[in-house]
Amino acid sequence: MSIDKEKLQALFVAPAAGVAPCVIRAIDVKKIYWAGQVETHALRGATLDIYRGEYLSIMGPSGSGKTTLFNMIGALQKPTSGKVYIDQVDIAQLDTDELAWLRCHKIGYVFQTFNLIPVMTCLENVMLPMAFAGLEGEAAREKAVGILDLVGLGHRLLHKPAELSGGQQQRVAIARALANSPQIILTDEPTANLDQKTGMEMIELLARLKVEKNVTIISATHDQRMLQKSDRILWIEDGQIVKAARPDEIDFSTAEFR
Amino acid sequence: MIQDQVRLPLSVAIGVVMQGIRIRFGRSLITLMGVALGTAFLVSNLTGQAINAAVRQEEQSRSEVKRMASFLEAEMGPPRDRIVGVIQTGPLDENEQGLIRFLIDSRVKSIQWYNAAPETPISQSEEAECRRDVSLEGVANQAGSVLLMGSGPLPDVLTAPEPVASLFKDAAGKILACTRTPQGLASPPGVAVVELAREFTPEELIKIAEQKTQAQFRRNWITLISMVVTVAGIANAMLMSVTERFREIGTMKCLGALSSFVRWIFFFESSFMGAVGGVMGGVAGTVFSLAVYGFTYGYGLVFSSVDWVLLGVYLVLSVLVGIGLSIVAAIYPAGVAASMVPANALRTDV
Ligand SMILES: Nc1ncnc2c1ncn2[C@@H]1O[C@H](COP(=O)(O)OP(=O)(O)OP(=O)(O)O)[C@@H](O)[C@H]1O
Ligand SMILES: [Mg+2]
Repeated sequence: MSIDKEKLQALFVAPAAGVAPCVIRAIDVKKIYWAGQVETHALRGATLDIYRGEYLSIMGPSGSGKTTLFNMIGALQKPTSGKVYIDQVDIAQLDTDELAWLRCHKIGYVFQTFNLIPVMTCLENVMLPMAFAGLEGEAAREKAVGILDLVGLGHRLLHKPAELSGGQQQRVAIARALANSPQIILTDEPTANLDQKTGMEMIELLARLKVEKNVTIISATHDQRMLQKSDRILWIEDGQIVKAARPDEIDFSTAEFR
Repeated sequence: MIQDQVRLPLSVAIGVVMQGIRIRFGRSLITLMGVALGTAFLVSNLTGQAINAAVRQEEQSRSEVKRMASFLEAEMGPPRDRIVGVIQTGPLDENEQGLIRFLIDSRVKSIQWYNAAPETPISQSEEAECRRDVSLEGVANQAGSVLLMGSGPLPDVLTAPEPVASLFKDAAGKILACTRTPQGLASPPGVAVVELAREFTPEELIKIAEQKTQAQFRRNWITLISMVVTVAGIANAMLMSVTERFREIGTMKCLGALSSFVRWIFFFESSFMGAVGGVMGGVAGTVFSLAVYGFTYGYGLVFSSVDWVLLGVYLVLSVLVGIGLSIVAAIYPAGVAASMVPANALRTDV
């Protein structure tokens, strides 16, 4: 594995006093998918730091590798090369059980495809990660009801995902991501299926978690309101992070970096 | 440290399994049938062997008694209203008891019983007059014949020719009928010694044993194949179940389910199937073989000769084997599910 020395040096400069510690650090992460003879370079060396309590947005055209990056930094998949550290721990060093623990306790995921369990009700879907964390019974139920209320689905507790609209499913997915009060929330297009108002509510919910609980929010999104709320925006193109900017550096009328 | 914190949520696992079975009820039913069929095959084979052996023995014993009885009748004439002496040297076997029963059933006048081994109990319940207070000297008195039976040693008196002949001086028929080949019995003048027993020659014995082992081997072979087929069938059904739940399992792994949890789900599902299918198949197989053998040999014969405790043991054994087979069958599918890469479940095209 060859890593650009300069890049590495820059990464390990200790954060200045007052700057939040780094929760996720990716170094030259590459991902190649093989489909038969065809190689797809989904990520061509992504290097980034994500700080505690940060609201980070990732933008990029379809197929640029957002979901792939999301999977890498969320410890859902092993990179072909490169390193990912979560809370200073190299996740390549963790065994499958430790990875499971990490996914269960540290990170909340909102998948692009929702991935709700179709045979379970909304309530059971939200209670599932709690069960994996050892929280069961009445306590889990109460907490799950509370979270579902928060996303505005308090009246749909016992419905199966198939009985809900796309936006409602998306909100169940968000509720499920909050189940174990994670320090990091990874969301893949969390507002894609929501109307203006509910979308704004979700964005505000995430923003509030960031402010009140110091939760780190990472989302792949094209939603302007979400971009405007972010602390930092990464632009990814063809598997490479090409630009990083603060929202005030972007012209939202054209979605162009200034 | 981490191990303790991600617990295996048992109730969740059970819920997932039950829901899975309910949703895929049709296929679960087929899996169940597979287990049931395998178990039924095993249990009906075992039970069949047991019934067959019991019936065979009962029949053999009955025909042996019949043969001895007709031998005896040929020597002494019909036993009705006759007196028969019995010299018992030790415990009686089934055939000898059957012969006594035959004498009683054919209404002998009385049986004069001398027991040379008083410590061995006599299990006969007598309707015919049965005099047990007879001395050895009086056993042949007025008797049409004297039976020598039991597994004990001969009384000393019978080893010399003269005393034996003198036993028969008041006998109606000078016949000494032995149910076994007596060792060291003197051949007394004027008394016919008849052997009712039929001894198998060593060649015959070997042949019988060979036939038995051959039949057993064939059966065990068939049973083994049926069990392999059962395991393959269950494994296949479980693999289908794994593929169908690919997305569900992957999502759970993304949400922090341990591999052991995923493995547990499949082992639980298959042992549940194994238990239910095993009980169904076990009961069905037992009933089936009882019905079939009852039909061929007659229900009376089957139900009277069969060892019910043994059948119960076989039933329990088969259910355990059914569960065992299902668990063995789940090893590979559960491994496949447990080693699944979580992110693969997140793709839309799966
Ligand atoms: N499992 C896979 N096997 C093969 N190729 C894959 C796989 N996953 C992603 N790819 C490819 O990697 C590239 C990046 O995909 P990715 O899903 O990360 O894009 P994305 O930025 O999330 O796109 P979108 O905005 O449409 O969700 C694409 O060209 C895709 O075809
Ligand atoms: Mg994507």
